[in-house]
Amino acid sequence: MAFVQAVLDGLMIGGVYAAISIGLTLVFGVMGIVNFAQAEFLMLGMFIAYFVWAYLGLDPLIGSIVAFVIIFALGIVIQRTLIQRVMRAPAVAQIFLTVGLLIVIENLALLAFGSSFRSVSTSYQTSSLRLGPLFIGVPYLAAFCMAVLSGFALWLFMDKSWYGQAMRATAQNPLAARLMGINVERMQQLAFGLGVGLTAFGGAIILPYFTVNPTVAEQFVILMFTAVVLGGLGNIAGAVVGGLTVGIIQSVSALVFPIQLQNFVLFLAFIGVLALRPHGLIGASR
Amino acid sequence: MKSWLVVAAAIVAACALPLFLAPSGYPIRVIALALLFAALGQAWNIVGGLANQISLGHAAFFGLGAYTSTLLLINFGVSPWVGMLAGATVGGFAAYILSFPTMKLSGHYFALATLAFSEVLRVLASSWASVTGGPAGLSVPFAPDSLLMLQFKSTLPYYYIILVALIAVTGIFVWIRQSALGYRLRALRESVDAAEVIGVDTARAKVIAAVISAALTAALGVLYAQFTYFFDPDSVFGVISISIRIALITILGGVGTAIGPIVGAFVIIPLEELANVLLSSRTAGLSQLFFGILLIAIILVQPRGILVLIKSGVNRARRGKTS
Repeated sequence: MAFVQAVLDGLMIGGVYAAISIGLTLVFGVMGIVNFAQAEFLMLGMFIAYFVWAYLGLDPLIGSIVAFVIIFALGIVIQRTLIQRVMRAPAVAQIFLTVGLLIVIENLALLAFGSSFRSVSTSYQTSSLRLGPLFIGVPYLAAFCMAVLSGFALWLFMDKSWYGQAMRATAQNPLAARLMGINVERMQQLAFGLGVGLTAFGGAIILPYFTVNPTVAEQFVILMFTAVVLGGLGNIAGAVVGGLTVGIIQSVSALVFPIQLQNFVLFLAFIGVLALRPHGLIGASR
Repeated sequence: MKSWLVVAAAIVAACALPLFLAPSGYPIRVIALALLFAALGQAWNIVGGLANQISLGHAAFFGLGAYTSTLLLINFGVSPWVGMLAGATVGGFAAYILSFPTMKLSGHYFALATLAFSEVLRVLASSWASVTGGPAGLSVPFAPDSLLMLQFKSTLPYYYIILVALIAVTGIFVWIRQSALGYRLRALRESVDAAEVIGVDTARAKVIAAVISAALTAALGVLYAQFTYFFDPDSVFGVISISIRIALITILGGVGTAIGPIVGAFVIIPLEELANVLLSSRTAGLSQLFFGILLIAIILVQPRGILVLIKSGVNRARRGKTS
């Protein structure tokens, strides 16, 4: 039973990892850039939801939408002013630009918010649902539902809207997309905004059961990249599967290994997939 | 012939420099640290510069070196000189193992894999407290002024030892660059497929370069441990404090050149120290912020480094005069 409970816990947290990782994979899929700073936007999303809760009294689940909107706009600005300039540069320039961004965002947050841990309190924080012998914490369930909703909204957008289709066209072949009259630069801005916005959203919805401080991103970097690589970099459906898998691996491995070694197990999965299936477990080769 | 004269003059100047500095003062410490990081940049340059394999995980080897020698010293009283050999062996072996899963990776994927590798070692060093001392870190037992134990009260001997290390690592870099291995690495940097077609065993070349680079980095990690007397998982396995700093130093000075890491280190390390002295007393994070902004600026302005920037500036000025 402990195992089933662990799988269930893993699924709940994995749903959130999926939402976070979709953002990262979207950026790579459309722009071909691995955004090393991605987890910093998760931290920003958590802080936005925290301040919305602290000053406006709104639940982090509502604050998550505010976080998405603000970070979406910030993402477009960053893409236009910084990342656009290295789109045709060698990989080394792209890698170190986003690494520089990581350092700048983390330390700006440290200067602005200080290094103390903050958390919100909600009415449902400690309550849980009972399903026979199993328990689900309400905040976990709420975050999972929000993640599913955001995934569904993204799917609708990518599949049905003109912008979504244009963005997928850009991901497949930027030159052909340009020839079809698509403004590729605009699509890249949109993709980066959406990508970091979604990750910020994912950060905000876990705030009811997670404390935030400026270095919180460190805890998510490895699992986020593992989820994305498991699913195949740039593959959105893959990131969902990858996110759920990482959640389950984490939660089940905690039954066997001490908690500090969680990242070690994830790393083995990460390196194994990179070595054997660099395009992901499920994906076709890109 | 002329370049040899310049190199000889630079070495003589570096040897004479401490005559003008207090042997245990702050300036000589900063310069010694800059020399150490120049050597680290040079070791990174072997894979990052020649083969253009961008490693974000060289802290892994640096930390392995520091931990290997210090644990040998604490538990068995082994001299750090032997520890340096042991550390280099462990570091090189780790790079050999890591090369299996990362062999076919390049660009972003390679950077990701190396980053994850060093992060995992950091987590292991923190959580395996019974062996590594955990997050509290390790202190080198104090037995100063013993060449055998590589410990001195004054900074001066460290300065000369690190200077010799820098000259040695730079020599190895220059030697590799003009050797057959160097040509193979540059061939596979341009195109792995084309290099394979003309008969280069690209896998072998990559592994040899990675092992040499890692072994040198680990040996320098041993020097660092002896120089600072204390380290913890975050300071030797740190992504930003070691891996990215090494890469930034090389990129700032000029990737793939022998002079690049030296120039980069002598810009970055003193600037950082200056920022620490001026800013950190007021607020944490400000000097790191400065570091990040510098990284973004150099990438946007001239990703090939400040030397190229200066050269093109000089050329423009000359053209301006003649026209």
